[in-house]
Amino acid sequence: MASKEEVLEKLKTGVVEYLEEEVKEAAQQGLDEGYDALELIMDGLAAGMEIVGDLYDRHEYFVPEVLMCADALYGGLDILRPHVPEKEGGLNAQVVIGSIQGDVHDIGKNLVKMMFDVAGWEVHDLGRDVPLENFVEEQLKTDSEVVAMSAMMTTTMLGMKKVIKMIKDKNPDVAIMLGGAPVTQDVANLFGADGYAESAGNAVSEGIKMIGRLREMQNK
Amino acid sequence: MSELTPKERVMRLLRKEPIDTMPFFSGMGMVVMPGIEKAGIKFASVHTDPERMAWSAIWSARLMGFDCVVVPYDMTMESEAMGNTISLYEDSEDILYPTIPEKIWSTMEEVTIPDNIQELGRLAMMPKVIEIIKKEAPELAIGCWQLGPFTQAGQILELDMILKGVFKQKDKVNALLNNLTDMIIKIGRMLQASGCDYITLREPGVAADLLSPRTFKEFIQPRLTRIMEAWQSPKLLHICGSTDPLIEMMNQCGADGLTVDIKCNIAEARQKLGNDVLLMGNIDTYAMTCDPETPVETTVAHIKEIIDNGVDAVMPGCDLWPAIIEANMKAVADTTHEYGKKPSPAVGRL
Repeated sequence: MASKEEVLEKLKTGVVEYLEEEVKEAAQQGLDEGYDALELIMDGLAAGMEIVGDLYDRHEYFVPEVLMCADALYGGLDILRPHVPEKEGGLNAQVVIGSIQGDVHDIGKNLVKMMFDVAGWEVHDLGRDVPLENFVEEQLKTDSEVVAMSAMMTTTMLGMKKVIKMIKDKNPDVAIMLGGAPVTQDVANLFGADGYAESAGNAVSEGIKMIGRLREMQNK
Repeated sequence: MSELTPKERVMRLLRKEPIDTMPFFSGMGMVVMPGIEKAGIKFASVHTDPERMAWSAIWSARLMGFDCVVVPYDMTMESEAMGNTISLYEDSEDILYPTIPEKIWSTMEEVTIPDNIQELGRLAMMPKVIEIIKKEAPELAIGCWQLGPFTQAGQILELDMILKGVFKQKDKVNALLNNLTDMIIKIGRMLQASGCDYITLREPGVAADLLSPRTFKEFIQPRLTRIMEAWQSPKLLHICGSTDPLIEMMNQCGADGLTVDIKCNIAEARQKLGNDVLLMGNIDTYAMTCDPETPVETTVAHIKEIIDNGVDAVMPGCDLWPAIIEANMKAVADTTHEYGKKPSPAVGRL
């Protein structure tokens, strides 16, 4: 019999030390013991990812480590998420996410997606190299509150501006997040976006910080 | 003061011989829309035809006052020559570089590099491109480039597999990087034998915001060094992204010069490297040459600041995005030529 604190610690440490199998075991153990799945996600897996974010900010971890931590987190999330009652599953919000046309990079996008997955959002992942109009169509079809776009190169970034205009013309209430190496706050402002992550690396820590804020909201 | 041709200016700078003024050239893409339009063609068609590639490069340089041309433009030639299909985005209204939408291999073991890769696909047209430029624009320096092995690995396989492989599949990553290093040496030699004036090894996928300096030292530096040893001079090494923790290791790779982007603190890098190392960079390419909100005066001030920080040549931190604002782009080249008349740390003046 493991206490809830012990299970949470195993989940947290497993994510930080990218021990996927141990995270899966701990997740199953937590369920077997009858602990609340959402609590295990937020105070175990997400809490571990917050530590990962600190390690990344301090240049102790780099992208390979973060990717392995993300794998470990998903190992646990896949087991726990089905056990979270739908209305408690987070903010019950939806996001459309993708890398813009011309861009086949999706590491940053996938890490931000993870953040929304953890928070229990319904994620409509369009993948990468996404034609501009597909973002608009998917947002209208799903009535998602947020559209998140990523571009890794200056050469593809300009497409974001068009998408923002197309979406805002049809639905001004949609919040649009931009991310990726060439995107700056100035660019985000200029393009009319509502939020941004400074770089691919920064998207990781920004995303992880957002998990932290979501945990705070959940705990209130 | 004697007036040098653009090519003489670049070549003398790369040999650290005195020049009349600082050239404006690059190791990365320098093709811009005015040059493509002057050549009477569409962006999607410049990648597959030697005449179109050569003339779009020549007109870009002549109209904007660049001292060089840089070919090719996209990063998919090698991957395509290995059998991957590229997307040219011929139907898109936007300027999009070719990409590999889906890769044919899903594991590192599957990767097979043909022995004669330098003769395959669009790589085979590069000697012709260089020949046309040499004949039609002998005044311009011709730069060619190769991606480094780590970045190239991301063009043929999913990058997250390679990144995680650094920890989980070291032997496979090492074998793959060794094979790609051999390929890069071979293609670089072909480009040099075809007559390019300088060559740049671009390894943006290893910046210190992606990989740790320790990983750089273990996996990347030995291969970059091997490539530099195998290529003739002049040869440059470019890494974009965070390079402050790497700049000294970059310098140990054996390049004739280093190029960096906006994230590099040039003044600090200069202090670490001393005054004898050719250091080039670090224009903020989008903000200073593409953003319609940036006044020309701001661009001019940016260029002067870079020169004052201690570069030997002002260089874009990345490929120029083709849809430049002409006034700002010309101001970059003009300011470099005018403000660059005084000696730089590693290069004197005539």
